[in-house]
Amino acid sequence: MPIRKVSSKATSKVTGTAAAAAAAADATTGATTGKKSLLQRLAKSAGSPVVFAIIVIGLGVLPLLYSSGAIDSTAMIIFSGKCIALAILAIGIDLIWGYTGMLSLGQGLFFALGGYCMAMHLKMVATGGNITEFMHTGGLSELPIIWRPFLTFPATLVLIIVVPAVVGGLVGFFIFRNRVKGVFFSIISQALTWAAFSLFMATSPWTNGNTGITEIKSVFGSIRGDANLDHLYMLFYVSLGVLVLVFILATLLTRTKFGKLLIAIRDGENRTYFSGYSVSRYKNTIYVISAVLAGIGGALFVNFNGSISPSVMTISYSIMMVVWVAIGGRGTIIGAVIGTLLINFGEYTIASGSMIQAWQFIVGGIFVVVILFFKGGIVGIFTSQLPAAWRWLQARLGGRGQGKGADQGAGGQLAASQAGSSADAEVG
Amino acid sequence: MQQVIGVLFNGLSLSSILLLTAVGLAITFGLMKVINMAHGEFIMMGAYTTFVVQQLFLSFAPGAFDLSYLVALVAAFAFTFLFGCVLEKLVISRLYGRVVDSLLATAGISIILQQAARSIFGERGVNVTAPSWLSGGISLGGVTFSYNRLFIIMLAVLSLVLVVLIMRKTKFGLQMRAVMQNRDMARCMGINSRRIDMLTFGIGSGLAGLAGCSVALLGSVDSTVGQLYIVDSFMAVVLGGVGNLVGTVFGSSIIGFSSIGIETGLSSADIAKCLVLLIIIVFLQFKPQGLFAGRTRQLDE
Amino acid sequence: MKKSRQMFARIAALMLSLTLAFSLVACGGGSSSTGGGTSTGGGTAGGDEGDTVVVGILHSKTGAMAISEQAVIDAEILAIEEINASGGVLGKQIEYIEEDGASDPATFATKAEKLVSQDKVVTVFGCWTSSSRKAVKSVFEDYESLLWYPVQYEGMEQSPNIIYTGAAPNQQIVPAVEYLLDNGYTKFFLIGSDYVFPRTANMIITAQVKAAGAEIVGEEYAAMDQTDFASIITKIEAAKPDIIVNTLNGTGNVSFFKQMAEKNYTAAEYPTMSFSIAEEEVATIGPDILKDHMVSWNYYQTTDTPENEDFVAAYKARWGANRVTSDPAEAAYDGVYLWKAAVEKAGSFEVAAVLEVIRTGEISFQAPEGLVTIDGATQHLSKPVRIGVIGADGLIEEVYATPEPVAPDPYLKGYQWAVDANIQPLE
Repeated sequence: MPIRKVSSKATSKVTGTAAAAAAAADATTGATTGKKSLLQRLAKSAGSPVVFAIIVIGLGVLPLLYSSGAIDSTAMIIFSGKCIALAILAIGIDLIWGYTGMLSLGQGLFFALGGYCMAMHLKMVATGGNITEFMHTGGLSELPIIWRPFLTFPATLVLIIVVPAVVGGLVGFFIFRNRVKGVFFSIISQALTWAAFSLFMATSPWTNGNTGITEIKSVFGSIRGDANLDHLYMLFYVSLGVLVLVFILATLLTRTKFGKLLIAIRDGENRTYFSGYSVSRYKNTIYVISAVLAGIGGALFVNFNGSISPSVMTISYSIMMVVWVAIGGRGTIIGAVIGTLLINFGEYTIASGSMIQAWQFIVGGIFVVVILFFKGGIVGIFTSQLPAAWRWLQARLGGRGQGKGADQGAGGQLAASQAGSSADAEVG
Repeated sequence: MQQVIGVLFNGLSLSSILLLTAVGLAITFGLMKVINMAHGEFIMMGAYTTFVVQQLFLSFAPGAFDLSYLVALVAAFAFTFLFGCVLEKLVISRLYGRVVDSLLATAGISIILQQAARSIFGERGVNVTAPSWLSGGISLGGVTFSYNRLFIIMLAVLSLVLVVLIMRKTKFGLQMRAVMQNRDMARCMGINSRRIDMLTFGIGSGLAGLAGCSVALLGSVDSTVGQLYIVDSFMAVVLGGVGNLVGTVFGSSIIGFSSIGIETGLSSADIAKCLVLLIIIVFLQFKPQGLFAGRTRQLDE
Repeated sequence: MKKSRQMFARIAALMLSLTLAFSLVACGGGSSSTGGGTSTGGGTAGGDEGDTVVVGILHSKTGAMAISEQAVIDAEILAIEEINASGGVLGKQIEYIEEDGASDPATFATKAEKLVSQDKVVTVFGCWTSSSRKAVKSVFEDYESLLWYPVQYEGMEQSPNIIYTGAAPNQQIVPAVEYLLDNGYTKFFLIGSDYVFPRTANMIITAQVKAAGAEIVGEEYAAMDQTDFASIITKIEAAKPDIIVNTLNGTGNVSFFKQMAEKNYTAAEYPTMSFSIAEEEVATIGPDILKDHMVSWNYYQTTDTPENEDFVAAYKARWGANRVTSDPAEAAYDGVYLWKAAVEKAGSFEVAAVLEVIRTGEISFQAPEGLVTIDGATQHLSKPVRIGVIGADGLIEEVYATPEPVAPDPYLKGYQWAVDANIQPLE
C-alpha cells in the first residue's frame, strides 16, 4: 500500500511533534489515489467546500428564520456571530499548527490585540472621543496617546491588522531566527500571552484591568432589540462574508507552493532547510498570518460581545482554541471551522441548568477520546476511519479473509503511520 | 542586611515550592516527553488528600491530629502515585512520541479532574490546618524563618535527593534511564518498558501529590488550585533544560528569586509577573533548549 | 486484520459515545424546556404564561470564582423554593434556569443574552465580580431587562436595569474606615488584589484617611492568582502599620492569612479590616487563623433578628448543617424577595412596571439583616452597617452597628472629603 509513502519518510525523525499527527491525517487523505473508495475521493475533491457551503448556508439563514418567526430570539444569531469570529481564529491556528506543525498556545494574545483595537475605537465612539470613566478613576485627565489612533474608524481597521502583525512578526522574528521550535515554541508563546495578560491587568488606567473595555456597541450601532435588526443583520453577514473570504484564501494558500512548503516544514524541517529554503522566514510569515486572522476574529468578536477583557488571554482559553481545531480535524481548514462551531454550540445549548457539571465531563472526555483515537478529528473520521471501517465490513461480508484494511496494520512501528492508529502501534 | 536576608529567604522558599511542584514535571516532561497538563490537578489531589486525612483524624483520632500531616504526606504520595499509574495505563501509554497530543489529551483530563473535585468536595474551598509543629518560626536578627517554609525547603531537597538516588543508585533507576534514552534498545535487553513507563509516570505524579500537600498549608484548597502552579512549573522545567534535574533546580531558583526580587522593588505583582516572564522569554532566545540542555547529535528532536 | 478490527471497535465506541452525548443533550434539553417551555408560545410577554414564571440564575459554577459564587446560588434557590412553597408570586410558581458564567466575562455576556432574549426570563439574579457585571450591563440595558446583583462592590455605577442588593462603598468601606479612625488607628496599610474593586476602594480609603489626618504607610497589589505573599508580608513588616485594610479577593485571602499565620502573626500584632471575608471564607481559611480580625458587612450569621433565625435554620436545613450563611448569600436571598415584593406591588412581571414601582422607593423587605429598602433614585438598598470581629468558632460577632439603615450613596456625593479628592465620576 502506498498509503504510508509520504508519512513514513516524513515522520521517521519527527515523531513526537504535531507534524507526525497532522501528517497522518494528510497522508491518508492525500497520498493515495487509485484504490480509494468513492466516498474518500469525493471527500478529497469536493467534500470540504460542500460541507463549508452547507455550514455557511446554515448560518446564513438564521436571520431569515428570525424574520419569518421560526426562531423567536436574536440571541442565537448573536451567538453564531461570536462563533464565526472564533472560527476565523481557529483557521489561523490550523494554518500554523495543522499545516506547519507549530503549536501556538498564545493565539489568545492576538485575539485580544485585535479585540482591544476594535473595542478601543468603539469605546471612543461611545464617549464621543472623551476620556473614559476608568481613565478618570485611574487618575488620567486627558486621552492617552495609545488611544488617539482609535478615534477614527479607518485607522482602527488598519491597526486591527497591523498591531497583531507587528507583534507576531517581531516575536516570530526572534523565535524563529534562534530556531526555537517544538514544545519550546509552545511554552514561549504561552509565556508571552501570560506576560501580556499581566501587563493588561497592571495598566488599568489605560486598559481598565481585568474588567476590560465594556459597554460598547458594534460598528453599526446597537445590535440588540428589534429596532436594531438591520444593524445586527449587517454585522452578521459582514462577519460571515469575512469567514467565507478567509476560508477561501486559506484553502488557496494551502494549495500554493507556499502551502506545500509549510507541510514540508511540518514533516521534515531540516530536510526543508537542506533543500535551500529559508524555513524561519516561512514560519514567520505563517505566524504573522495566523496572528492577523486571530486579530480579525477578535475584532469581530467584540462587535457581537459588546465587551472584551483579558480573560481571553488565559492559558486555558488558548489551549481550548487548539482543542477546537484538534476535534474538528487538524490539517484541514474545514476541520477548524467544524470543531469550533461544534464545541461552542454544544457548550451553549447543553451546558445549562443540571447539565453544567455533566458538560465538563463530556467536553473533557471528548478531548481525550478524540486525541487518543481519532487523530484526524471529525474530518478524519469521515475521510479515513469510516471508509476503512466500510472496507473492513465489505471484506468481511465478501468473505475475503485478507481485507484491504488489514495490510494497513503491517509494520506499524512508526508512530503516526496512519490517522488514529499510531497509538496502537506501540500497544499492540 | 536584615532586608537582604529576608529577600533571600523568601526567594529560597518560593524557589523550593516551585521546585517541589516542578520536580514531578521534570520526570514526566523532562524524561518521558509527556506534557502533562493535569500535573496541576495532581497537586490539587494531593491537597485534597491532605484535607481528607485531616478530616479522618478529626473524627477518629482527634488527639493525634498533629500526626495527621505526616500521614497525609504519605497518603498524598501513595494516592497520586496510584492514580498516575492508572492514568498512564489508560491514556498516557497511548501518547508516547506525541508530545503535543499528550498536552491536549491531558488538558481534557485536567477539566475532568477539576469537575470531579467540585462534584465530590463541592465548589467551595476546604480548610486544611497546619499542624502545631509547623506554625511559628525562629527569629534570627529580626528575620522570621517560619518552620513551614523551612519544612518545605527540606521537603523539596529531600524529594530531589530521593529522585536522584532512585535514578542513580537503584536497578529500577538504571532501567528507567535506559528506557528513556533508547526504548527499543532497552526492550531488546529484556527490560519491561511498559512497567518502567508506568512506574516512572507514577513517581512523577506522586511528587505532584507531595507538592499538593505542602501548598495546602500555604493557600486555598479548591478545584482550581492546580492551575495556579502549572505554568510556573513548566517554565521552571523548560528554563532549566528539559530532561535535566539540576536544570530544574536552577530554573526554579531563577524564577523564584527573580519574582521575589522584582516584587520587592515594585508594588504591583502583575508587573513583576510580566517582567519575570519576559526575562524567561528573552533567556530562551539565547538558550532555546534551556540552561542545561543535553548535547545531542540528533537533528530533529 | 487486527488493525481494522481495532478501527471498527473505535468507530463503535464513537457511535456509542455520540449516542450517549445526544441522550444527555435530550435530557438537558428536556429539563431546561420545562423551565423555558412556557416562553416559547407567545414570544412577546415573557416567560410568565401558564401557571409558572421563569427567572434566570447566572453565576460561575466553574472556574476560579465558583468557590465564592456557589453560596449565592444556594441562597437564591432557597428563596425561590420558599416562595414557591408559600404560594409563589402572583399565584405563579417560580422556575429557574441556571447558567454558568464560567468565571469569564465574555461567557457571562453570552449567557445573559441567552437568558434574557432566548429563554425570555422575567428577571435574572446573577454575577459576583465587577468585571462580569460590567460585561452584562449593556445586555440588560439593551433588552430592558432586570438584573439583581448581590455583592458589595466599588460603587460609581448606577444602571437603570440593575438592582444592587449588596453594599455600596458608603455602606461598608467608609463606615469601616471611620470606625478604625475613631478607634485610634493612624497607620494604614492597604493590600488588595489587582483589579477594579480594590483599586477603587483604596482610592476612597486613601482620600478618607488623609482627610482625617491619618497616614497610609503602604499600598500593595497582588496578582489575582498570586500564591506567594512572602514579599508583601515582608513589606508589611517593614512599614509597621497599626492596621491592615484588606481588599484581597478569593484565593488570595486564603494564601495571605495562612502565610501571615505561619509566622505566628495574629490580630494582636497585625490587626486587619477585611471587606471580602465573610463566614464562608472564615471556614476555608480557618477560624484559628482569623480569630480577632475585623470585617465590615451588613449582615452576619449571628445577626440578632427573628428573620435571621429562620433564614439560618432554613439555609442549614436545605444545604447542610455544616454550612454557614454570609452577607453575599443573604443579599442574594433578599434580592429574590425584593423582586417578589416589587412584582406584587406592580401586579405584573413586566420589567417596566416592576422598575416603575421600584423607583417609587417603597419596595422594602424585612430581611435577616433588618429592614432593607430599595432606594428609588440609585436602585441600591438602604441597609444597616455592621462592624464585626471574627470569633474562634468561625462566626462573626458584631461590635458596632449603625442605629439606622444607611442610605446608599454609590458616588459618595454626600462626603466632602470624597468631593474634594475628586472621586466623583465624569459628568
